[in-house]
Amino acid sequence: MLVLHNARVEFGGHTVLRDVSFELPQGRTTVMIGRNGAGKTTTLRTIMGLLPLSAGRITIDGQDLAEVPDHGRAALGIGYAPEDRRMIPGFTVEENLLLPTLALKLDQSTTRERLGSVYELMPELRELSRRPGGSLSGGQGKMVALGRALMVATRVILLDEPFQGLAPALALNYARTLAKVRDQRKDLTLLVTESSPQLLGGVTDRALQIERGEVMETTLAEARH
Amino acid sequence: MDIIIPLLVDGLAAASLIFFIAVGLTLVFSVLRVLNVAHGSFYSIGAYVAVSIGGWAASAGLSPWLSFPILLISAALVAALLGPFIEATFIRYTYGKPEALQILVTFALFLIFEDLQKLVFGVQAHYQDAAMQVLGVSEIGGIIYLNYQLLLIALAVVVVVSLRLLMRHTRLGKLILAVVADPEVSVTLGINARQVYSIAFTIGVFLAALGGALATPTSGVAPGLGAEAIVLGFAVAAIGGLGQIEGAALAAVIVGLSRVIAIYYAPAFEPVMPYLVMLVVLLVRPYGLFGTAQARRI
Ligand SMILES: Nc1ncnc2c1ncn2[C@@H]1O[C@H](COP(=O)(O)OP(=O)(O)OP(=O)(O)O)[C@@H](O)[C@H]1O
Ligand SMILES: [Mg+2]
Repeated sequence: MLVLHNARVEFGGHTVLRDVSFELPQGRTTVMIGRNGAGKTTTLRTIMGLLPLSAGRITIDGQDLAEVPDHGRAALGIGYAPEDRRMIPGFTVEENLLLPTLALKLDQSTTRERLGSVYELMPELRELSRRPGGSLSGGQGKMVALGRALMVATRVILLDEPFQGLAPALALNYARTLAKVRDQRKDLTLLVTESSPQLLGGVTDRALQIERGEVMETTLAEARH
Repeated sequence: MDIIIPLLVDGLAAASLIFFIAVGLTLVFSVLRVLNVAHGSFYSIGAYVAVSIGGWAASAGLSPWLSFPILLISAALVAALLGPFIEATFIRYTYGKPEALQILVTFALFLIFEDLQKLVFGVQAHYQDAAMQVLGVSEIGGIIYLNYQLLLIALAVVVVVSLRLLMRHTRLGKLILAVVADPEVSVTLGINARQVYSIAFTIGVFLAALGGALATPTSGVAPGLGAEAIVLGFAVAAIGGLGQIEGAALAAVIVGLSRVIAIYYAPAFEPVMPYLVMLVVLLVRPYGLFGTAQARRI
C-alpha cells in the first residue's frame, strides 16, 4: 500500500500540495480527478522523488520513500508514465521498453518475461518495436509509455493523464488495455490522473478529487458533475 | 612537395592530441550540460604526472618500453583520483545553474589547479621523451617519420571507434544516451543519473589526461599548457558541434591540416589558424559542422 501522510510541496514559497493524505490500497485502481493546475502531475512527480517534500511523508508498505534515492523507485516496482510520453528519441521502441530492465540489471529470463507480457497486453507494440522512439505519433507514444511503465511496475503504476489528447478510438483502445492490465495483474496498484473521468468508469474502484493542491475522497458519480 | 608529407603527419599528430581534449569536453558537455573550463587542467596534470612517473622510471633504470604503460597509468591515475572527486565537490553544484555561473566556478577551479601545479611541479619545463626515442623513426619512400607520431594518430582513431562502440553497444553507453536525452525520465526508469554524471565526467578527465600524457614525449610540459589546451580544445569542440564525437574528430583533423597549410604558405598565421577556422565554420554553421539547434548529442 502506498500512503501519503500530510505531504506538502512548495514551489518558491508557493504551496502546490497542501498537506495531502491518501492511501492507494494494493490491487485497486484509484483515479485522481482535478482541473488543470490542480496538482495532479505534482503529486505523481513527488511520489517518484522528482520533487522534494517540504513536509510530510510518503511510504510504501511502511517503508519511508525519503530513505530511497530518486532512481530507487523503479527498483521498488513503482512504474510511471508521464503526461507527455517522453520517449528516448534515438532508441527504438523496444530499446525504450528495455531501458528499465537494463538500468535495474534484471536477468535475461525476467527481462524476457516482462517484455513478453507487455507485448501480450499490447500486441500493437510488437509491430512498432523497431521504430525509433522519436517517430511515434502522440497516441502510439502514450501506448509505449504505458508499456514502459509496466516493464517497471510490479507494485504500483502511476499514469498521468493517459487519455489526454487521444482520439476517441485510441482512447477506447487504451481503456481496454487498462482493463486487461487490471484483469491480469491483480496485485498491481493503479493511480490514474484525469481532468475528466469519463473513460475510466469501468476499471475504477475509487476516486480522489484534487483541487488547488487539496485532495479529498469523492465518488465517480460526484466527480462527473 | 617532399616537405608536405612530414608536415601532414606533424599536423595530424597534433590534431590527435587536441582531439583527446575536445572529445572529453564534448562528452562532459552533452551529459552534464556543463562547459568545463577546468578541463584543460586535466590535460596538463596528466602531462605532469606522466613526466614525473616517467622520470622516476628512467632514473630507476627501468626499460624505456615501460614508458607506454606509464603514460596510460598516469592518465588513469589522474582520472581515478580527480574525476569522481571534482564532480562530487564542485561540478555537481552547478547542474541546472546558469551557464555564467558554471563557467565562473570551473574557471576558478582552473586557476586553483594552475597554482597547485606550479606549487607541486615548479615553473620550469619538464621533458621525458623515452617513449618517442624507443620507437625510433621509419623511412618510407625516402621520407622519415617519427613512429611515435604515427602511434598518436592511431590512438586517436582507436578512441573515436571505442567511444562509438561504448555508446552504441554497451549498457553504460545506453544509460549515458538515455540521461543525455532525458535525465528525468531516465531517473524514473531506475537509472542512477548521478552515477552516470560521475562516470561520464571521469571518462572526460581520463581522455584529457591521456592527451596530456601522450603530448609529453614530443613537447614536454611547462606552465601554460592547460590554458592552451582548453582554448584549442574548446575551438575544436565548437567547430565539430558541441556534443558530437565524430564532429570533434573531423574538426581536429581540419584544424591540424589548416596549420600545415599555414606553415607551408604563411607561417606567421599558424598559431591563429584554429580560431580562423572556428570563425569561418561558426559563421556558416553556428552549431558547428555536425550540430544543429536540436541535434542529438553524442
Ligand atoms: N516547476 C514549477 N514551478 C512553479 N510552479 C509549478 C511548477 N510545476 C507546477 N507548478 C504549479 O503547480 C500547480 C500544480 O501543477 P500541476 O502540473 O501539478 O497541475 P496538474 O493538475 O497536473 O495540471 P494539468 O491538468 O494542466 O496537467 C500549478 O499551479 C502550477 O502552476
Ligand atoms: Mg499535469
